[in-house]
Amino acid sequence: MPEIIVDNLTHTFGKGGKDALTVLEGIDLTFESGSFNCIVGTSGCGKSTLLKMMAGLFDPTDGEMRLDGEVIQGTDRRRGMVFQQDAVFPWMTVRRNISYGPRLRGAGKAEQAEAEAKWIEAVGLTGFEDRWPRELSGGMRKRVDIGRVYANDPDILLMDEPFGALDAQTKERLQADLLKAWNASKKTVVFVTHDLEEAIFLADKIIVMSARPGRIHHIEEVALPRPRTEEMRLTDEFLQIKRRLWAMLEH
Amino acid sequence: MNNLSKFLSGRLFLGVLSVALVFAAYIWLTNRPDNNPALLPPISDIIGSFRTNLTSGSLMTALGASLFRISTGFLIGTSLALIVGCLIGWYKTIEYLCDPLIEAFRPIPPLAYIPIIIIWFGIGEFSRVLIITIACFMVCVVNVIAGMKNVPQVYVDAASTMGASRFQIFRTVAIPAATPFIITGYRIALAAAWTTLVASELLAAQNGLGYLLQEGRRYFLTDQVMMIIVIIGACAFIMDRIFRMIQARLMQWSEARE
Ligand SMILES: Nc1ncnc2c1ncn2[C@@H]1O[C@H](COP(=O)(O)OP(=O)(O)OP(=O)(O)O)[C@@H](O)[C@H]1O
Ligand SMILES: [Mg+2]
Repeated sequence: MPEIIVDNLTHTFGKGGKDALTVLEGIDLTFESGSFNCIVGTSGCGKSTLLKMMAGLFDPTDGEMRLDGEVIQGTDRRRGMVFQQDAVFPWMTVRRNISYGPRLRGAGKAEQAEAEAKWIEAVGLTGFEDRWPRELSGGMRKRVDIGRVYANDPDILLMDEPFGALDAQTKERLQADLLKAWNASKKTVVFVTHDLEEAIFLADKIIVMSARPGRIHHIEEVALPRPRTEEMRLTDEFLQIKRRLWAMLEH
Repeated sequence: MNNLSKFLSGRLFLGVLSVALVFAAYIWLTNRPDNNPALLPPISDIIGSFRTNLTSGSLMTALGASLFRISTGFLIGTSLALIVGCLIGWYKTIEYLCDPLIEAFRPIPPLAYIPIIIIWFGIGEFSRVLIITIACFMVCVVNVIAGMKNVPQVYVDAASTMGASRFQIFRTVAIPAATPFIITGYRIALAAAWTTLVASELLAAQNGLGYLLQEGRRYFLTDQVMMIIVIIGACAFIMDRIFRMIQARLMQWSEARE
């Protein structure tokens, strides 16, 4: 199963130029196979940059990342990514967006329809199959984004604040759904969030980053039992972790 | 009441109103006692000229010749622009290779090519179509390139992380994302086609709408000149409407469909 190792990774935007900006420095991380990892950190500390490099969208200036021992270079459908920005294709209906991945690989009509039905239902967009993205709310578009990546069935899920734009109820529902799907498939998940409670509820391991340049500040192993339930959000253990992380992010 | 005010401020009513006002002003001008009909022929004369030219067949021949030139030049010019523009906009190497050329030739008005084309190819049909082709290509290719360069990066990234090849991204992301620009390019090319058509026919043609204009000037048939101007305006208007319909159809997904 897929394990990602980030080995002494440093990234400088515009290296050599006069506005060179070192965003990440000396990052060492291991994302164990089948684990659920959250990354938290202040805005601008390089979370999205790290995730994009793991997706293979560009190379780090120093150090490397390995997936099952193989150096990550270029994009691959095995590493799926939900972007922080809205990435739903506005020229495709919800249905066509969802089955985009299967279509790339030449899936037939029936196979596409099957993926559409399954994932539109899973992200709660039933009844909106034939709408254009412009007819959806921001949160609904985010769900299309998520459904499209799920339908593509990657081994590794890189998610950049996927639930940031959602209301509390939808968010909790999608968190629970995500955990369920993860439990069933045991994909390796790397999940960026600003929401500590979300991180604690979801993760095996929370990586706290500090800014300028982005470094690993602390790694919190979350020992809460699984399956996680809504009630756990109010237990002492949960709140203790939250308080500890909160104090770290203050500084 | 509400419906009435909505209608009165609506597109159809205001559009018809402005045309009607110009008509009324023209009729008023031509009915003034001091009007010289040789300079400003009354509408009845213009309609009369339309009738004569229609029955003699010369109008239809001219229209046919002009429409043939326009459509041939437009189709070849825009098709080339689409292919070349996509290549330049999508492949960096080709861009670096072609960009200086495009930038150098872009500011030259297409009409400036007329003398050299006449020297090389004479004043035949080929030359006239060639001028229109060049005009359409030039204005269209710039828009296609802009469209390709303005494809939002996040769509390209999304497709690529889902395993799309470079060509698949081109086909399923770049082309649709660039469609608004491409359609605009086609519409500007259509306008350019009319401009160059008339110019090329004024300079060198034995038939076509531009030729009838020239003939009207030579024999002082102001009513014929006016009539041809109206015909050209009407044709261009109808073509643009058809284009807008195609645009609305292709752009159903877009927020800005107009
Ligand atoms: N393409 C780029 N070129 C130059 N600098 C960049 C680029 N992308 C990001 N940066 C810079 O890198 C830093 C980290 O950006 P990044 O998007 O990774 O932050 P983040 O941790 O995801 O923040 P947020 O939580 O606000 O999303 C920022 O200071 C940003 O200005
Ligand atoms: Mg970010």
